[in-house]
Order: sequence, then structure tokens, then C-alpha cells
Amino acid sequence: MFERRLFFHIDWALLTALLAIVSIGIAMIYSTTYVPGADGGHAGPQVRTQITALVLGLVALVIFLSLDYRMLAEHSLILYAGLAGLLLFVLFKGSTQFGAQRWIAIGPLNLQPSEFARLTLALILAMFFGENRRGARNTSDLVIGGFFTLVPLLLIAKQPDLGTAVTLLPVFFGVAYLAGLRMRLLGVIALAGVLIAPLAWKFALEDYQKSRIQMFIDPSQDPQGAGYQTIQARITVGSGGLMGKGFMKGTQNQYKFLPVAHNDFIFSVLAEEQGFVGVLTVLGLYLFVIIRSLEAARLAKDRLGAYLVGGIIAGFAFQVIYNVAMSVGLAPVKGITLPLMSYGGSSLIATMATFGLILNVRMRRFTN
Amino acid sequence: MSQPIGTDDRRSLHVRLTVLQYGIAVAFSVLTVGFWIFQVAQHTMFREIAESQYLQRVPLPAPRGLLLDRNGTVLVKNQESFNIVLLRERAKDIDKTLEILAAATGVDEAQLKETVSRRRREPTYRPIVLIGNASFAQVVAVRARSLELPGIEDHRVPTRSYRGEMGAHLFGYVGEVNEAQLQRADYKDLDAGAIIGQAGLEQAYNGLLMGTEGSRDVVVNSRGREIDELLKKDPVVGTPLQLTIDADLQKAAEDGFRHFGILNAGQPYNGAAVILDPRSGEVLSLVSLPAYDPNKFAVGIDRASWASLTGDKNLPLQNRALQATYSPGSTFKIVVAAAAMEEGVATPDFRVHCSGGATFYGRRFACWNDAGHGTVDMRRAIEQSCNVYFYTLGQMLGVDRIHKWASAMGLGEINGIDLPNEVAGLVPSEEWKLRVRKEKWYPGETISVAIGQGYVNVTPLSLAVMMMTAANGGTRYTPHLLKAVNRGNGWEPVTPPEPRSSVRMKDSTVKAIHDGLWLAVNGAGTAGRARIEGRDVSGKTGTAQVISLTGAQRARGKIEVRDHGWFVFMAPRDNPVIAGAIFAEHAEHGYYGASIARHIIDTYYAKQEGRPLPTLEKPPVTNAIVAAAAAAPRSGGTH
Repeated sequence: MFERRLFFHIDWALLTALLAIVSIGIAMIYSTTYVPGADGGHAGPQVRTQITALVLGLVALVIFLSLDYRMLAEHSLILYAGLAGLLLFVLFKGSTQFGAQRWIAIGPLNLQPSEFARLTLALILAMFFGENRRGARNTSDLVIGGFFTLVPLLLIAKQPDLGTAVTLLPVFFGVAYLAGLRMRLLGVIALAGVLIAPLAWKFALEDYQKSRIQMFIDPSQDPQGAGYQTIQARITVGSGGLMGKGFMKGTQNQYKFLPVAHNDFIFSVLAEEQGFVGVLTVLGLYLFVIIRSLEAARLAKDRLGAYLVGGIIAGFAFQVIYNVAMSVGLAPVKGITLPLMSYGGSSLIATMATFGLILNVRMRRFTN
Repeated sequence: MSQPIGTDDRRSLHVRLTVLQYGIAVAFSVLTVGFWIFQVAQHTMFREIAESQYLQRVPLPAPRGLLLDRNGTVLVKNQESFNIVLLRERAKDIDKTLEILAAATGVDEAQLKETVSRRRREPTYRPIVLIGNASFAQVVAVRARSLELPGIEDHRVPTRSYRGEMGAHLFGYVGEVNEAQLQRADYKDLDAGAIIGQAGLEQAYNGLLMGTEGSRDVVVNSRGREIDELLKKDPVVGTPLQLTIDADLQKAAEDGFRHFGILNAGQPYNGAAVILDPRSGEVLSLVSLPAYDPNKFAVGIDRASWASLTGDKNLPLQNRALQATYSPGSTFKIVVAAAAMEEGVATPDFRVHCSGGATFYGRRFACWNDAGHGTVDMRRAIEQSCNVYFYTLGQMLGVDRIHKWASAMGLGEINGIDLPNEVAGLVPSEEWKLRVRKEKWYPGETISVAIGQGYVNVTPLSLAVMMMTAANGGTRYTPHLLKAVNRGNGWEPVTPPEPRSSVRMKDSTVKAIHDGLWLAVNGAGTAGRARIEGRDVSGKTGTAQVISLTGAQRARGKIEVRDHGWFVFMAPRDNPVIAGAIFAEHAEHGYYGASIARHIIDTYYAKQEGRPLPTLEKPPVTNAIVAAAAAAPRSGGTH
């Protein structure tokens, strides 16, 4: 299954960039979760968890690299059914944290199945569109693809975890776009979205979600309440300046003015402590990862591989862009973490697994 | 089953991938520009905001300078107390916080909200004092609920500590600087919320007493917990002041009003007393009653207490010694005597026959003694307080020459004491009447002025200055309270202020007045109660009518319509060392004031000679005494 020559086709540059981003992320988590004390303090428990997740993530990456992606795609319906089962399971039996039911406790690990939804969805959509001779030009195929997307999306939104749920949409559009979705249809969907938005506002959104959006538009309305995070994010980033305040010297971070710094706002911490220079470096790494991955799609031997990479990267890029915009107060606060950097074991493992698939597609570009 | 990509498909896929790559690159570029705007273009603004969040300047209030008496006894000191304050920058929901605070401390919620609303325009980093001088239980309650009360802290602050009501008007009180004061040049460097003197010496010497506020720059986290101290500037304590006041004389005077008031009228006398050293103008004692407790102001007076002070018809906040004027009555005869002898219209041996009254300008003026005093000279006229004698001198002098000498002796003038809001009082002149009343002066009016009635109105302070000037033979020293200051290098005496005016009275004038005053106390006069064997106390009583005699008949017995009593005095007769004026409201007659003066003079000499200080027996308060005092026969006139 794994031929020796494939080893030489692994994209080491991409892998190095990934590891660089994760390392920077761990350093930032170390800085935000450090517990000061009379004895000089010690690292927070989150650092160890994240390093463990990295190791597990590398294992997952190797697994998803080793198995032929075509073989995985063929079994994607089983994977998809398994995912739906897990999502149903957490809805009824999962453990509740921070007001949402997302986790399955496996021994010491808290597994978050929704983090693996993007990977599974990308596989099944790539399979569905890749094996369809007409591509995505058929509207009924689009509806079927949309149905595949909506099932996990609604299950995750129900937890409720709207942030993770919406990241499934770019996966769908990424695959559909590469598969030849007509631009006119894309325009119709966008228009429908605009028309549905007020209805969604009225019926679908919880009060806290509405207030987050309102506060993003005018954070000064309630500087101590819902607008607090947006304001603090801007102060954190802006006060970092060109060169930053230095590692573990960010006052917004160290004195806890910025909430959930190690999670949703990890990039704000980077901006504060490492400055604009650090921001440029990490954004450059992310852009490299994205462009390089899309190159893998370009090189892919078959449509399945190209669509798979396209779907994964569309979801990944959406998450990165949204989270980074949020970290500077340019997007409403949503529970969308920064993949590879934010604290979160399931997310890191799942993301590493998806990059295993991307390396897989590139590596097998010459095989039959 | 895998689908290889056809040429057309591949071209289309490549185009779409390229679009996707460029699209994402553009999005990243936009983000980069966004970060550049925040981190580089607007960096300074955000850095300042970030610093204002974690750097806090905690003010360290400076203790005010101590006030000591002339012998070094501490009169006003400082003590530590707790203020419960609101830091608005750290509060989440201020209304909710105040609600919880009110419930926890038992303070009226509406009052807390009013305090915050009144100070809402101040910079938000300034703490707002919600509860001054919080009780131990309140501090504990706040600390126990600190999680529910974000932005509420207890601050340890030095506060003024006074000796109860003693010397209240002398010391004054402190309070927060108000908005009108902040507009003034001398307060322009102060922050809102600063504590300054608002009355008395606290106000007059605020600049010396205040000291300099210190501060601590600390690092705090988002919960307001202090993490680190960056810089500490210790406060500089205010300059201690040594006063000319003698604490024992101050107490003796206040005790006297209480004791003799209860003894004679069934309740403490209200009134005023000013005791001076006639050789320098140093104020040994300054009393105004009723008083208030300045301690209540030291930590921010509550509205109910303030309302009860400002609404009290007895005006406890007024310093009667220098802010209120009264008719001087017969004490004014000293001025007329001095004027007559100095102007050369009469000698000490000038004699007048009193038959109980006399006619001037076609109108009969009565002496207080219907039987008449017979033939009296200057000394006897002062001793007996003979109205007819002084009517005669008044007629001979005319009002302007009386005015001239009254002014030279401090009456109707500002005497320049180092306390705020002194008023001048009034001694009329022809020019004054024309200017103010738009009428010419009628010579008949001079006759009333000659016995201290009519338009004449004086402050107790100015009457004490008059007595001082008569005692020292014409030098109108400026009454003053500051003796020395300690700027950190030991006590430095303060140069006393220049005398307001000085005339050199003839020895014969001074001798005749002193003899007359001595006789009033030690002879057949009205002031025998001030007599102390061997001390040659000399003085003069006076009565200030409150309402007309007929009205008094109707209202007999009611204390608020009884006449006020004056007693001015000096001791000893030759080369006096103490002089003063006692004003007892509704005391009916000056001889009760003489009793108070006697106690003060007795205390003065006991101190000089190292004897135990005299004490006043606690008077037995019985209804019989009150009734007897109420029913005491009244006499007309101003003796």
C-alpha cells in the first residue's frame, strides 16, 4: 500500500510550514496560559495537552497519508454514516461544556466529533462530484451535494455550535466551485443567502448571537458587555505595534484583559507580543500552506484528488481568514478557532489529518 | 473507476484554482492592510488605551498639618479611616453594583446614585467616595462581597480628628473642593474630590495645611487585582501650625457658657467670646455657640446632618464672633469716654448731674436708674454706667467724632483676623447716613449712639479689639491666630501682622477709663461678678435689646426675646495682659457674662502660676432655678 518511492514525493516544505505554525501556536498558548506564582510560576496544563494533540495529529497525518485517498473516498459513505452517528450521539449523550453539548469523553480525552466533519464531508463531496461525469453542472447533483452538507451542519448547529457548523459551507462551495459550478448559480445562491439573512436573523439566531453581531457593528454600545471582546481585541492588536511587546510581555494577554486568549483570540496574542512583523510571518506561513496545497490540487491525477484538496482548503482558508479578521475586531465574534494555532486537541488532530490527505493527493500524483 | 481529467476539464480546473488562489491572496492582503492600520498607523492610540487599562494611579492623600495650641497641645490631628469608593473603569453595571452595595452596607441607595451622578463628568479613573469613614462592619461587608461588587474598593485615608465641638468655628471643617472653587486660581491645581478647608482656620491656612498628594503607579489585571507596583511617590504631610490659642482658656470659655447658662437660664448660653493678649493682638480664645461637630465633615457629611445644620434657626454654622453683629449697649460708653477726653471736650474730672434723665433737642432721654446718679465724674460715670453723663458727652462730641474714635478702636471696621468672612459692623456717621440712607443726620440721633444704641452694630471680635485698644492705650493690633509654623526644620515664629491703626491716647485718658472699669468690677458697679481678689479685673457690662420694652412685657419669660448680655474686660487694671469680650445671647444682663469672664481670668492666672486649673461645679438643674430665672425682674436701659 505504501511504496518506498512515494516517500520522496512527500511535500516536505508544506509539512515544515505546518509544523512551524503549530510550534508558534504552542508558544503562544504557553504565553497565555502561564500560571504565575511565588516560585516563578509554571506552564499551564494546556501546553501539555496541545503537545499531546500534536503527536496524535502527526500519527493521524501519517495514517491519512499512507492510505490511498481513493480507497478512503470509496469508503466515504461509511465514514459519513459514522460521523452522523457520532454527531447524533453527542446530541443525546455527549458531555456539556461552556453551554454546548459537543464532546465525547474517551478516557482522559474529550473528543469533539464535529471537528472531523469537514474532513469527512470533503471526502464524500469529492467522491460524489469527482465520480460524476458531468461535474457539477447538473442542478440535481448540487441539491444532493447540498443535502450531504446540510445533515452534519444542522446536527452541529443544534449542539449549538454555529461557528463550527458554518465552516462546512465553504467545503461544499469549494468542491462545487472546482467541479464547475456555474458562476450564475453561485450568484443565485449568494442572492438567496442575502434574502434569507433577515429571516435567519429573526428565527434562527439565538439572542447572544444577535448581540454579538450588533456589538460588532458598534462595540461602544456596550463596552463592558457583548462589545467587550471586540474592543479588547482591537486594543490588543493595536498596542502590539510594529515589533510587539515581546514574548510573554503582552499586557492585554498577561493581565487577562483579552478573554479566551489561548483559544479564539490566539492570533491577537501573537499580534500583541510579536507585533506586525510576527503577524506578517504567520500570515505568510498560512498563505504558503494554502497556495501550496492548491498546487497539489492542480497536480492531482484525478478530479477526486483535486476536489478533495479544494474542499479541504476552502474550509481551512475560510477559518483562517475569519478568525484572523475576528482577532483584529474586523469580524463578529464567533466560536471559530484558528486551525493549527488555537488551543484544542480535536481540532489540531483533525486538521493534521486533513493535511495528511492533501500530502496524500500530491504524493500519489503519478500513481495509478 | 477513478476519473482522469480531460484536457478541457483540466483547463477549467486550473482557471478556477488560479482564481481561488488569487482570491485568497487578496483576502490575506486585505487582512495585512487591516493589521497595518491597527498596529502601525493607530499604534500610539491603542498603546495608550492598553496602558490606561493596566496602569492605575492610586492617589495617596496627604495628611493635613496638625494644629497645636500656644503651649504645644495638639488640638486637631489626623486619624486613619476607610472610604468605600467606586472605580468606574472597573465597574460593570454601576446601578446593579450600587444596589448590592446599598444592601450590604445599609446606606441609602438613592444617595449613592446621587453621589455618582453628581460626579459623572469627572475623569473616570478618579475614584468616587461613596461612603466616607465607613464602619468596620461596612468594610468587612464590602470585602466579603468583592466578587459581586466589581469596581468597589475600600481605601485607607487620613481624616481630620477634632476635639468634639470644641473650637468648632475656630478650626472650621474640611470637605471636598466644589466646582466653583475649582474655577479659582488658588485651587486650579487640585483634582475634583480633593479635600480642602471649607471654614475657619482649615480654610484660612488651607495652602499650608494641605500638604501634597502622593501616588502609587500600579499594574492591575482585568479584575482590578494589583499585580505590581511600579512607582511610589509618598505624600508630603501638611505644615503643622502653632496657634496663639490657649487650649485651657478655650475650654474655660466654652465651659463658662454652658455652666452659667444652665445655672441662670436652664440651658447653655449661645453667644461668642474673644479673648486677646492686649500687648500683641494674639487671640487666646475664640468661641461661638452653638457649635457643630467638625468631625462629621471630616469624612463627608451626610445630607441629613447637613440639612439639620443649615436649617437650624440658631445658625450653628455661623461664627458669631466675627460674622454676626449686635448692638453693643453700654460697652460703647468706653469709646465715647475715650473720644471725649482725647478730643478735649471733657477731662476725667468733668462732672454731670444725673437726676434719672435729661432733655436733649427737645426730647427726654431716661437714665436706666430712675432715681438718678447724682453728680458723677468720668470714673463714676463709667462705674455706674450713667446714661445722662454719656448723653451729655455725645451731644458735646457729635456723631462724627464718636465715629472717628470708634473706628480707631476697631468698631465698624474689619479687624483683619486670619479667619474667613469677618464682617465690619457699623458705627454711623453723617456721611454714612447721607450716603446710605439718603437723609441728613439729626443731632438727636447722636444721643442714642452715645450709649451704644441706634444704628450701632458690632461684632464680638471688634468689641474685644476695642477693649484691647482701650487696655493698651491706643494700639489696634490685628487679632491673629497663627504663632509659628514648622516647615520641617523646627518651629519658626510667624511675624505678627502690622497693627491696623495706632493712636497714642493721653495717659490721663487711659487712666480714667481703667479706673472707671476697675470700679465697675470692684466698686459699686454692675460687674461685681467678675471680681477676683488681687487681680484688679476691670470691665464693663452692656445690654443689647432684642425687642422693645412693651413687647418684652408681653413675651415675659420666653427666652428668645430676652436681651443679650455683654461683658468687656481686661486684667489687671495696670498694664493689662488679657482683654476680651463676652457675648451671651438672651442672658438679659451682662453680669452673667462677667461670671464667664471671671472663670476665664481665673484659669489664666492659675496657669501662669502653675496652680490647678479652676473647675466649675456642675450646676444643679432644677425647675425652681429655671422658673426663678424666667421670673427675674427686668430693667430697662443698657447698663
